[in-house]
Amino acid sequence: MSQDTSSTEAEREETDQLITTDPGRGGLSEQDNTSTVMTGDTIIQSRNLDVFYGETQALQSVDLDIPENQVTAMIGPSGCGKSTFLRCINRMNDLIDVARMDGELSFDGKNVYDDDVDPVTLRRRIGMVFQHPNPFPKSIYDNVAYGLRIQDRDVDMDSVVEESLKKAALWDEVKDRLNESALDLSGGQQQRLCIARAIAVDPDVLLMDEPASALDPIATSKIEDLIEELVEDYTVVIVTHNMQQAARISDKTAVFLTGGELVEFDDTGTIFENPESQRVEDYITGKFG
Amino acid sequence: MATDTTTESGFGTVSRTKGIVFEYLTLASSVAGILALSVLLGYVFWDAFGMESAEIAWYGAFALLVVVPVLAFVAYTQRNPVAGEAALELFSTTMGGILGGLGTVTILEVVTGADIWFGYFVTVVAPLCALYLYGRSQPNASWVGLAMLGFLVLGPPIGTALLPITTTIVALIGGPFVYLFTLTIPGALVLRYVVEDYLELGDGDLTAGVMVAVALLAVPLVDRLPLVSRSVWAIFLTTLFAPLAVVVWKNLADRERRAGFAGPGVFAAGIGVLLVVTDRTALNGPTPWFDWQYVTTSPSRFADQAGLYPAIIGSVGIIVLVALITMLLGVGAAVFLEEYAPDSGLGGAVARFIRINISNLAGVPSVVYGLLGLAVFVNLANLGVGTVITAAFTLSLLILPIVIISAREAIRAVPDSLRQASYGMGATRWQTIRNVVLPRAIPGILTGTILALGRAIGETAPLIMIGVATTAFSPPEGIFSKTSAMPMQIFAWSSFPSQEFQHGVVAAGVVTLLVVLLTMNSIAILLRNKFEQEEL
Ligand SMILES: Nc1ncnc2c1ncn2[C@@H]1O[C@H](COP(=O)(O)OP(=O)(O)OP(=O)(O)O)[C@@H](O)[C@H]1O
Ligand SMILES: [Mg+2]
Repeated sequence: MSQDTSSTEAEREETDQLITTDPGRGGLSEQDNTSTVMTGDTIIQSRNLDVFYGETQALQSVDLDIPENQVTAMIGPSGCGKSTFLRCINRMNDLIDVARMDGELSFDGKNVYDDDVDPVTLRRRIGMVFQHPNPFPKSIYDNVAYGLRIQDRDVDMDSVVEESLKKAALWDEVKDRLNESALDLSGGQQQRLCIARAIAVDPDVLLMDEPASALDPIATSKIEDLIEELVEDYTVVIVTHNMQQAARISDKTAVFLTGGELVEFDDTGTIFENPESQRVEDYITGKFG
Repeated sequence: MATDTTTESGFGTVSRTKGIVFEYLTLASSVAGILALSVLLGYVFWDAFGMESAEIAWYGAFALLVVVPVLAFVAYTQRNPVAGEAALELFSTTMGGILGGLGTVTILEVVTGADIWFGYFVTVVAPLCALYLYGRSQPNASWVGLAMLGFLVLGPPIGTALLPITTTIVALIGGPFVYLFTLTIPGALVLRYVVEDYLELGDGDLTAGVMVAVALLAVPLVDRLPLVSRSVWAIFLTTLFAPLAVVVWKNLADRERRAGFAGPGVFAAGIGVLLVVTDRTALNGPTPWFDWQYVTTSPSRFADQAGLYPAIIGSVGIIVLVALITMLLGVGAAVFLEEYAPDSGLGGAVARFIRINISNLAGVPSVVYGLLGLAVFVNLANLGVGTVITAAFTLSLLILPIVIISAREAIRAVPDSLRQASYGMGATRWQTIRNVVLPRAIPGILTGTILALGRAIGETAPLIMIGVATTAFSPPEGIFSKTSAMPMQIFAWSSFPSQEFQHGVVAAGVVTLLVVLLTMNSIAILLRNKFEQEEL
């Protein structure tokens, strides 16, 4: 694995092409978390991850290596624990009182459930777009600026807001009403606003829980373009129920099945064309859900 | 279209009988409630204003001079709503200014006095305002909130410690100057902002200068007026005259809104003519018990000289303290119980125990709180029998459970998805509470507090227990001095044998209580609307 920190942008892209198959299992657990990690290196790694909500088990010993600067898709039937896995990564499960987890989950080589990890700083590096749009009852502008304000970022607020809204394919629709309530937007616009809000603070990883479920095809394709653009600098983990979407945009696909087990995790092409497990094939072809 | 395919029975029907019966039952119960209340209020107002002594002709004149012109104006505003808006603005500015001015005079002049006000202005009010403005202009400076909290907590004790010094300063410069510096000049700055940036009417500096000049130049004139001191002038200039001048200016500047002046105009003219007519002719008008004399003089053995002034001041002083105490403690406790307290483990059990018991405390009869106040604040803490502070603490205890419960409800009504959104952005718990939970919960918290304060101001039983005087001939001079309160005084009068007391004076007392209550509520509603607007 290349440890060269001084690689240029072009070299980075090259490595991106080269290393697509081997996610570099276990290669990072011993490293410190100064970001020497390279494209294609594992940035998020789970080992034997179990999650329980009270008595019910939502995830069963999940082992997963999410590569940096790539799109990882998670698919699987409703209730199989996809959102739960996402919430584990940025410790949003801490907020659920009955949630309990076992096993290990590391980000940048550091177990995020260690005592010395502050979930607040963790979440500042791992942004999240939720399954249901949840804009604040504030103006559109204030929504996008929220993260910058709470993080005391010394940036040109106006231009970051504009930039983020443009990336989220929302700018043209809202540029004349930035001071109006975000709640007056349509459901799809709200979802794009939430995406803009999440990317405004420039996180390392973006977790997206069905970001396109409320969007029309045009907005969806804009969001997919955005995701493609984002992976140049960010790592994207996306949950989707749309198989074509997963096939289109992701480099890696993880298939969860009911009961919270990770059945298969591989290159997207392999999963969709030539899956190892019969159950995965049945799920993808719609025989089983 | 589809009619030709439907059969004789159509799609069939679903019975609505139960639903219709239920609808009319609910309607009947609300009508019954409103009727009962308006009969009661009508009765009280009839007595308080001495309506029985007016002759039919007076009612005719009243209808002709006041009701008809005002109704005509209202009808006109149906066609020209802008004028109606302008009239409402003028009217509410005037009424709000008068009530606000009276309230300020009562609190600053009578209850605290210029010296105490100055002390806390310097240590609490001014820093808070300055920080607020700074925070507004620099939204990124997150330390501002913490600093404000610091001044809120540390300011009062520091202010109290510095009181000897500030009192000396006030003695040197004099009360009127204190108000000039603490009210008129900040007011002028607000005016400057409103005129120049907010309404964009004209030159803000000039306006502010004119206001300060008027404040100073009118002093020789004010000195010649009876009843009006320089301090009162400074206060009313800030609360009434300056805002009114701006509103008049704003509405004059807009051609369409000018018609709005007709509304307050016909009303004032109608009342004026009516007063002159009643005065000059043999027409008998009503002989109100509730009048200027009533609210400005002390109680008396003679019904027509009786006044409620000391009790009004006492009640207002008590209720202001109660509002401060319960808002701070109640909102604090509610935020802790909802946002910080753990749900499980030993901490969770303790929190659950506290929650359940707060709910139980809300149902405890008020006499019990009186007893508690007597034991704790009078005997144990030695705050004195029947003093303002004892009464305030006792009534605060009484309504604290209600305030906590309603604040908790309001906080709980904030959708969890908003908290998640905030935490997901990497906000700390405090940032989430400050930026997401509280802004959204404050309207609900205020509603609960209004209701609770309404209950507190009318309570008699706990006040009897802690020895609040039924009749006081002078208002309290500070929070540690003995006081009376409106419900106590009204209660005392109602046991007087004379008809005049039992009907007129008591009814006027009830009306006064209602007016104070309504004023309080309108302030709270204004605040609430302001917060609701901020939260888009
Ligand atoms: N807060 C919670 N408390 C208790 N159980 C929960 C909670 N959240 C999720 N679960 C349970 O955990 C399991 C996994 O839920 P999760 O939300 O991760 O599913 P999902 O794969 O995201 O489904 P969907 O595709 O419908 O969003 C489900 O059985 C669900 O009932
Ligand atoms: Mg989900």
